[in-house]
Amino acid sequence: MDTSSPAAFVNGALLRRYIGQKVRAVVQVIRSDIGSVTGKSTDDQQIVVKGSPPPSLTTFLEVIGIAESDNTIRADVWTNFGDNFDAGNYNELCKLANGEFRHMFI
Amino acid sequence: MFSNSQFEPNSAFSGGGFMSSQPTQPYESSSSSSSSTTKGIVPVTVKQINESSHSGGEKSGIVINGVEITNVSLVGLVCDKDVSKVTEVKFTLDDGTGRIDCKRWVNESFDAREMESVQDGTYVRLNGHLKTFQGNQQLLVFSVRPIVDFNEVTFHYIECIHFYSKNSESQLGQQVGDATQSHTLNANQATTLNPVMPSQNSDGNGRKNLDDMILDYLKQPACTARQQGIHLDEIAQQLKVPKNKLEGVIQSLEGDGLIYSTIDEYHFKHVEL
Repeated sequence: MDTSSPAAFVNGALLRRYIGQKVRAVVQVIRSDIGSVTGKSTDDQQIVVKGSPPPSLTTFLEVIGIAESDNTIRADVWTNFGDNFDAGNYNELCKLANGEFRHMFI
Repeated sequence: MFSNSQFEPNSAFSGGGFMSSQPTQPYESSSSSSSSTTKGIVPVTVKQINESSHSGGEKSGIVINGVEITNVSLVGLVCDKDVSKVTEVKFTLDDGTGRIDCKRWVNESFDAREMESVQDGTYVRLNGHLKTFQGNQQLLVFSVRPIVDFNEVTFHYIECIHFYSKNSESQLGQQVGDATQSHTLNANQATTLNPVMPSQNSDGNGRKNLDDMILDYLKQPACTARQQGIHLDEIAQQLKVPKNKLEGVIQSLEGDGLIYSTIDEYHFKHVEL
């Protein structure tokens, strides 16, 4: 059993705390190019996700990878999260998972 | 000889997590014992399982916040699916907080079909039984379902937080969880949450408060010092609760062994351990 690489829940504001570490985030896809996707985080900040996105993307996308800067993630795992995802809920979860209940996640 | 083995499919369903009459009632709201065993399914993160297994040392099950848990619900990504054996499917579940080994016994076609829909990289909801095997925690899975609405992922983690804070609240006797609860209640508009959370709060808190009020009153040194116990009328007067409301609760407290009647059936004292 391995807890050596837990991924922190981040939104735009929290991303800068984890530069160089494994993070997970859900973004709303704005634009997708070869090798990267530009998205809006759950707190309305722009995030660029680098890597190899899946061929088709739904409106929301979860990425898990390493935070490269305060607005870039290099993702290894991409999961389509569908078109009707509640970003507000996820945003609140990010705050709780990094705040009072951090010990349950990281 | 002619046993009920033909009707065994029920075990697949009863094991599927609906062990109490309410489908999503994973935890008890009773706060009367400091360490209770829960028979329901508890939502947890893998990190919570890891942290508590070191302090436990029990054969099966772990302890979180004073509550013993054996059946858990997890949400995460399937990895390393291994179907080399015919009767069992092994895989690892990665929920972002850690990884745990999982095993699913495949005895009936129902199980086999369920496992086929689960591939590496699929998000699933798992319900299973925790077992310690050769020093490691392992999950014996009895139900696997691919996730289709990803709000369930958000919901699962929030439910883990909710369960945890609800138990710390009853442990410490403080309103620690309330701030978070109202936070999550306000923030959550996901339809899956609405049936669960409100009913949980009104049932749990309503009953809990009256039981606790009576016990707290009887536990006071002024009351424990009185040999004859406290009359029901006095309790009703002090707590400003009508007698008929108290009677049922007093009976159940007596049945649980928390209070006892003294000189007659209307005088009560708190059981001191």
